[in-house]
Amino acid sequence: MPGSRRRFLAQSIGFGTMFAAGVPLLGACGGDSASGKRVTKAIKDGLSPEAGPLRVFNFADYVNPDVVAKFEEQYGVKVEITTFDVDAEAISKLASGAVEVDVHHSCAPATLSRLIDGGLLQPLNPSYLTNRGNVLSAFDDPWYDPGSTYTVPYTVYSSGIGYRADRIDPAEIEERGWDIIWDARFKGVTSILDDYREGISLALLRRGITDINTTDVDLIEQASADLQELVDLVNVKVNITGYTDVPEGATTLAHTWSGDMLAGAASYLPEGTDASVLGWWFPKDSKGPVGNDCMAVTSNASNPVLAHLYINFLLDAAIAEENWYWNGYLPPIEGLDAAYLVGQGLTPPNLESAVLTDDIIKNGLTYRPLDLETDQVWEAAWSRFTAG
Amino acid sequence: MVPLHGRLSTRLWAGLATPGTVWLVALFVVPVYAILAVAFGNIDPILRTTAPEWNPLLWDFGPFRMILDRILDPDDLGAVFIRTGLFALAALAGCCLIGYPVAYFVARTAHRSRGLLLALLVLPFWISYLMRMLAWVNLLQTDGYINRLLGWLQLPSNRNWLDGDWPTVVIGLVYGYVPFFILPLYAALERLDVRWLEAARDLGATPVWTFLRVTLPLSIPGLLAASVIVVLPMCGDYFTNSYLTGGSPRTEMVGNQIEQFLRGSSQPQSGASLVIILMLLLVVLMAYYLVTIARSQREASA
Repeated sequence: MPGSRRRFLAQSIGFGTMFAAGVPLLGACGGDSASGKRVTKAIKDGLSPEAGPLRVFNFADYVNPDVVAKFEEQYGVKVEITTFDVDAEAISKLASGAVEVDVHHSCAPATLSRLIDGGLLQPLNPSYLTNRGNVLSAFDDPWYDPGSTYTVPYTVYSSGIGYRADRIDPAEIEERGWDIIWDARFKGVTSILDDYREGISLALLRRGITDINTTDVDLIEQASADLQELVDLVNVKVNITGYTDVPEGATTLAHTWSGDMLAGAASYLPEGTDASVLGWWFPKDSKGPVGNDCMAVTSNASNPVLAHLYINFLLDAAIAEENWYWNGYLPPIEGLDAAYLVGQGLTPPNLESAVLTDDIIKNGLTYRPLDLETDQVWEAAWSRFTAG
Repeated sequence: MVPLHGRLSTRLWAGLATPGTVWLVALFVVPVYAILAVAFGNIDPILRTTAPEWNPLLWDFGPFRMILDRILDPDDLGAVFIRTGLFALAALAGCCLIGYPVAYFVARTAHRSRGLLLALLVLPFWISYLMRMLAWVNLLQTDGYINRLLGWLQLPSNRNWLDGDWPTVVIGLVYGYVPFFILPLYAALERLDVRWLEAARDLGATPVWTFLRVTLPLSIPGLLAASVIVVLPMCGDYFTNSYLTGGSPRTEMVGNQIEQFLRGSSQPQSGASLVIILMLLLVVLMAYYLVTIARSQREASA
């Protein structure tokens, strides 16, 4: 996914150093001669785990350290986590050989084909993934990885509207949907996600266009113009801090990720503020953006068996729950559903709809890879909006 | 014919300049060429990572031209460049208003406490710029200390400073860069020959007149150096704006657009093109500074 609550600060700091060091030029310096032997076949059955250390590549603060410590204890190995800030940086570093790791912990479906076609991942051997059956059936044969050859899903989330239920009537949002973002009553207290796919899609969805991968230049330009309207109309803010801004009250309406509202309820409400002030809206017909991150083993992994065991470990239901509680983003594991989470008191009842159902995962809209030319049209349209 | 010791000394100086030359080539010329190679280069078709073109004969100027067109459009990136320039000028004015008196005081008046004051000026650098901006976010919140102070002074105290307004960005820029402004200005004022001031006084000039006719003109090279030092990084700044406006497009600066294109987009060429154009604009500023300095040195020696 493009970013998250805990990652915001780390990303910003990281980007400062990345910018200074000229990471965009890394590819320039590294060429495509990645070191290490790359394999294109899955490992054999029944191999014993390597001695480690297991090298994991992930967003900062995106896995519970206690869970990692449990894995280290169980298998008697060290886990070394290397972090990246944005998806494209991960691809660039893996491709150039600047980073050599065993597990890519958070691949994005929209860019997965780059990793596979670029020969950077190896097929998984299901015999090591004994907990694979715990994963929701919606992910048996995902569009981005037919037959789940290379990946298993790590987290799922949807993009919708997080809001203050003490300031807007939930019934009004239910009636108006995405259009509520264009309401001048909420001038100064409205934000949208700082991501070109999410932002342009918000404007498309508001006009009832559910093709969030459109190649139609007129539609994209129209969406850009609609977003530009928000600058004066509601003095819109473009960020990924809805997880704190809504609970703290600085923002009333935030186009944000479902995980951010769940995390906001768990960790960011000021003292004395009840979780009932938070609300979450996602289209009732499930026609809204749904995304997931997934885990994979790199093609030049030197600990491929251990890498499989690590992925399998995170698919264990109890471990997944422990990880969710710290991370805020829900793993697509059977049983970790709204009824269970609300029943256990882990999620407030008013945010029940932020927990993804099988139906939302199956019928939600997904961001697909765009061809280069279309991608550039989307990016230019977004840049025209953010230029103010 | 140059005497032997003269030739030896020339070689010695050339040798001593080698590390500096290597430094310049490695950390300036090569990166700038790399930016050109990215701006006029390609994209890897599979990985969508930047594929720089090192051979100038194969350079593609298409993306650069596209960005240039957008900059020439005052409703598009043109607005971002103008806004960035205005923010930098306003912040420079703020730096002059705050920085000049401080530099003057430290250089001319504070004798015993000079070391301590200089140390205090450098102290903020011990804390990361990011942390200092986050501290400002707390100070400027609607219920933060700034509004409380205004309320205490019986002034309007319900302003939402973080609502994407330009004064907040300018305050942030002034705060972030004013120490860089004070230090070179201090150095210039500290070098100022006291005999000039004494002569002015002996000839009957009042303190104000002495300042306006002697101190201020003599400190112009220092002022220019200080201005160049702060304006250059301000024009590329993107942190201040991101943090103090919650990401409002109304205060978007060139640095934010560069970040957007270079942070994993499918058109790093556009980001690198923006870097080049910004650099060219700043080179003009730099050239003006160098010409002025050269002129004032000629006048001084005449």
